[in-house]
Amino acid sequence: MTDIPSDTRTAAPSTGEEGAAPRARAVAALDPAAERRRARRSRRYRWDMKWSPYALIAPFFLFFIAFGLFPLLYTGWASLHRVELGTPTDMEWVGLRNFSRLLEDDFFWNALRNTFTIGIISTVPQLVMALGIAHLLHYRLRGSMFFRVAILTPYATSVAAATLVFVLMFSRTDHGMINWALGLIGVDAVDWQNGDWTAQFAVSSIVIWRWTGYNALIYLAAMQAIPNDLYESAALDGASRWQQFRHVTIPSLRPTILFTCVVSTIGATQLFGEPLLFSQGASPTGGSDHQFQTLGLYLYEQGWFNQHLGRSSAIAWTMFLILVLIGLVNWAISRWIRRSA
Amino acid sequence: MASLKKRGAGRQLHGGKVAYAVLILFTIGSLFPLVWTAIAASRNNTRLAETPPPFWFGGNLFKNLEIAWTDANMGTALINTLVVAGTITVGTVLFSTLAGFAFAKLRFRFRGLLLLLVIGTMMVPPQLSVVPLFMMVAEFGWTDQLQSVILPTLVSAFGVFFMRQYLIEALPTEVIEAARVDGASSLRLIWHVVFPAARPAMAVLGMLTFVMAWNDFFWPIIALTQGGEPTVQVALAGLGRGQIPDQSVIMAGALLGTLPLLIAFVLFGKQIVGGIMQGAVKG
Amino acid sequence: MRYRTRTSRTAVVLAAVTTLAAGLLAGCAEDSDEDEPGGSSGGGGGGKGKTTLTVGVFGAFGLQEAGLYDEYEKLNPDINIKQNSVQRNENYWPALLTHLSSGSGLSDVQAVEVGNIAELTGTHASKLVDLGKTSGVDKNAYLDWKWQQGTTDDGKTIGLGTDIGPTGICYRKDLFKKAGLPTDREAVGKLWAGDWSKYLDAGKRYQKKAPKGTAFVDGATGVMAAVHASGKEKFYDAEGELIYQDSAGVQEGWDLAAQFAEAGLTAKLQQFQPSWDQAFSNGSFATVTCPPWMLGYIKDKAGDKGEDQWDVAAAPKPGNWGGSFLTVPEAGKNKEEAAKLVAWLTAPKQQAKLFDKRASFPSAEAAYGLPEVKDAKNPYFGDAPVGQVFAKAAEGVPVQPIGPKDGIISQYLADTGMLGVDQKGTSPDKAWDKAVKTIDNALDQ
Repeated sequence: MTDIPSDTRTAAPSTGEEGAAPRARAVAALDPAAERRRARRSRRYRWDMKWSPYALIAPFFLFFIAFGLFPLLYTGWASLHRVELGTPTDMEWVGLRNFSRLLEDDFFWNALRNTFTIGIISTVPQLVMALGIAHLLHYRLRGSMFFRVAILTPYATSVAAATLVFVLMFSRTDHGMINWALGLIGVDAVDWQNGDWTAQFAVSSIVIWRWTGYNALIYLAAMQAIPNDLYESAALDGASRWQQFRHVTIPSLRPTILFTCVVSTIGATQLFGEPLLFSQGASPTGGSDHQFQTLGLYLYEQGWFNQHLGRSSAIAWTMFLILVLIGLVNWAISRWIRRSA
Repeated sequence: MASLKKRGAGRQLHGGKVAYAVLILFTIGSLFPLVWTAIAASRNNTRLAETPPPFWFGGNLFKNLEIAWTDANMGTALINTLVVAGTITVGTVLFSTLAGFAFAKLRFRFRGLLLLLVIGTMMVPPQLSVVPLFMMVAEFGWTDQLQSVILPTLVSAFGVFFMRQYLIEALPTEVIEAARVDGASSLRLIWHVVFPAARPAMAVLGMLTFVMAWNDFFWPIIALTQGGEPTVQVALAGLGRGQIPDQSVIMAGALLGTLPLLIAFVLFGKQIVGGIMQGAVKG
Repeated sequence: MRYRTRTSRTAVVLAAVTTLAAGLLAGCAEDSDEDEPGGSSGGGGGGKGKTTLTVGVFGAFGLQEAGLYDEYEKLNPDINIKQNSVQRNENYWPALLTHLSSGSGLSDVQAVEVGNIAELTGTHASKLVDLGKTSGVDKNAYLDWKWQQGTTDDGKTIGLGTDIGPTGICYRKDLFKKAGLPTDREAVGKLWAGDWSKYLDAGKRYQKKAPKGTAFVDGATGVMAAVHASGKEKFYDAEGELIYQDSAGVQEGWDLAAQFAEAGLTAKLQQFQPSWDQAFSNGSFATVTCPPWMLGYIKDKAGDKGEDQWDVAAAPKPGNWGGSFLTVPEAGKNKEEAAKLVAWLTAPKQQAKLFDKRASFPSAEAAYGLPEVKDAKNPYFGDAPVGQVFAKAAEGVPVQPIGPKDGIISQYLADTGMLGVDQKGTSPDKAWDKAVKTIDNALDQ
């Protein structure tokens, strides 16, 4: 899978074994039958040139419009209506009420706050750790491939499976793995799910576990792209390993770091499966105090539990606006970085 | 991509003991929850309520796997997920390659505009379309049938963008022109030029798509509500809701749902790691 | 070389396209299979003339397990019965709603849980067949309140009752003995007869000499639900007005459950979660509210260790916990045959058989005199005369108005209210306000 370029070039000129249009031109210039054939062929050729691009993008756009674009816009339409799950065709126009009520909806603000805090405590340690691990993996190591595969296995574990395991490890009583371990060092059993911060921490730990290795590999790929002479000249200047990391590695990785920040932020904004399955009985409220209810979970609760599809749509669009905002901020930051560089 | 080889040299420094120690710790942290899933799955519900928690295997593994397989519907779920993820992967890779090639190398009207549309919707969260999708699925009578989770995810804007970015570099325009001068039709061009050139990226996209489709959670639990035809994630969500309130069976279900991808990781670990790292450089 | 790469590529692409096509076809095939409402082969001109009726149920409904389908097929050789079962009602119900509104994907017969029946009679009655007029259905055979629950305001009976869940209290004789409480079921029943606060007093007595590591009840939410089920009114009044905030019954349940939590009489468990199951086998609580179907559950979970330790006594005030209805959607193809099947399945005789085999307690009063019910004893529970215990409880179950959002309200009262009091030590007043806020938000369209 790695030797791409050579492969491409040898495989490419495999055409032309029978399509001998140019040669035919010279030979059959005077033959009327060949002339007709040529005209037909060139007509077909022109037709092909003109329409084949559309044929190539058609399958994608067919599905894309039906299941991507249309629902996207229709969500906006539905958010302006009262729509109930039991009678989805029975829509009643309510204007912007579904949005305006979000402003005074404590559950919405609570979910927004939780999404934000869980996003921070899952993204920051995850990326910092990933950076450190990538740095270590960048050394010459025995069994480096083993390490790479091993730290990627959490990525193969689904949200649902991972959460079910973590729920058991974070059990309330002292037979939970984590409380038992804490007990060994003399800390009392923690009721992870019922505390505000503890629950958010536990939910974040699932995200951290699943994604740190993946991000480490992405950083590693970027580190391998850093030209070696940068390090060599730094070493000549007497820079220690740590100084090299700070002054060579980090600056070169800036675009990648920004990229992973964006992707992780988007992921964090949509966080859903972890908080849903972390609560007892997969209740969509995110704990008895809504202490770990995220926006994604609140949207689900409104739509498929409280059965208000219109209100749910309004939350979806608000989420989207927040993402656009994040995108704009990211764009501004990356411009700022480019200018300062 | 082409420069991967060159930069492969990277840094020559050897890792010290600390580096090994940290990496080994981190590896243990990554693997432990999975190993412990298997341990918990081999015990029974009562044992998991005792202190200290078990650290070695018990004798109930096969019994619990069997309960998970039948009562929690994991057997059906695994087959369904194979069908769903397989179809989605093939669809995404095929359609993305075709459209990506068109966007990368062909000229046609509205190309820029359409590409902008694709890129613009790439980051749109799935939450934004579930309500109408749900209404559509209900309207077509597709609830609880596999096409309700296959069709909406059959193409991906990211895939098109990914293939376009790759083909812009990997497929020299002269090669296409040469083929055109030789009178090759578009079909021949795609078959003999585009597919061979795109193959490495198709493999990466296919792998990413398969893992994503296998682990997809949000839309399936909405579309496959009745649980008669669950995917693995839907069946696991059912276990999380307390369908079988037995921790060892729940762990057996989690194990069954993870095992296929884990085996793939063990077999193709090197390729998958390589794929993700290449994908990262591209993305 | 080139030839080889080409064939392998051809093979890969062919395989890929085949997979894609097969996947899509599989989808479509399934579609056409189940698309027609009312099941597959229908009455069509198949020649054989056999009608297949589909029955959609949730959980382990028991009709099939008790052999009732087989029996009906034997009585009616031209009928074939196929059951579609969904594990959890939380999954089953929203799907049934969407299927009803689109008129597709429905079974000929659909089961409905009591928590959802009011939403059907209220807003979806037009999509269901009036079963009150089916021949062989005798209104007087049923408990009146059960009959009314399946009937709309204008007298259309869209659901016939299958079972009900009159409640008793299951208790551990060994733990009661150690704590110095009586163990005989009559005496235990007298301990708290007629008043839930006496149940609390018994709990306090228990706690004074409680065996180590045990609590009096499983959890506060269970107590709350039991009290709520036994009141004259719950969340709606007889006019269908939402009164859950002022209802005396709701308040009594809330206060009592909170007192249980604050006095530390609970094991802080949430029902139907793994830890609850574990507690049955560890014996970490002494009493739990018991509808008839709970006896089987306890036997399953407590296992041999619990043999002869458990018994069942009358509840302070009996209530109803669970129970279902069978309905026939108008969109079905075999409406008449389906209605006949429902009438037969819910007749007293069949309900008595269901109780005998599956411990689903009959909603047909006429069944209580039949030997399957009258003489029923449960060996695991010290040969308790469960038929009589629960028949007596059934007579005492109050006629409680039900409403469309009963399910959501009770879940939120527990999940975002009482659970916090029990597990986190939130003050009851604060928890109440929180629960009310959540419920109001949920009910506001």
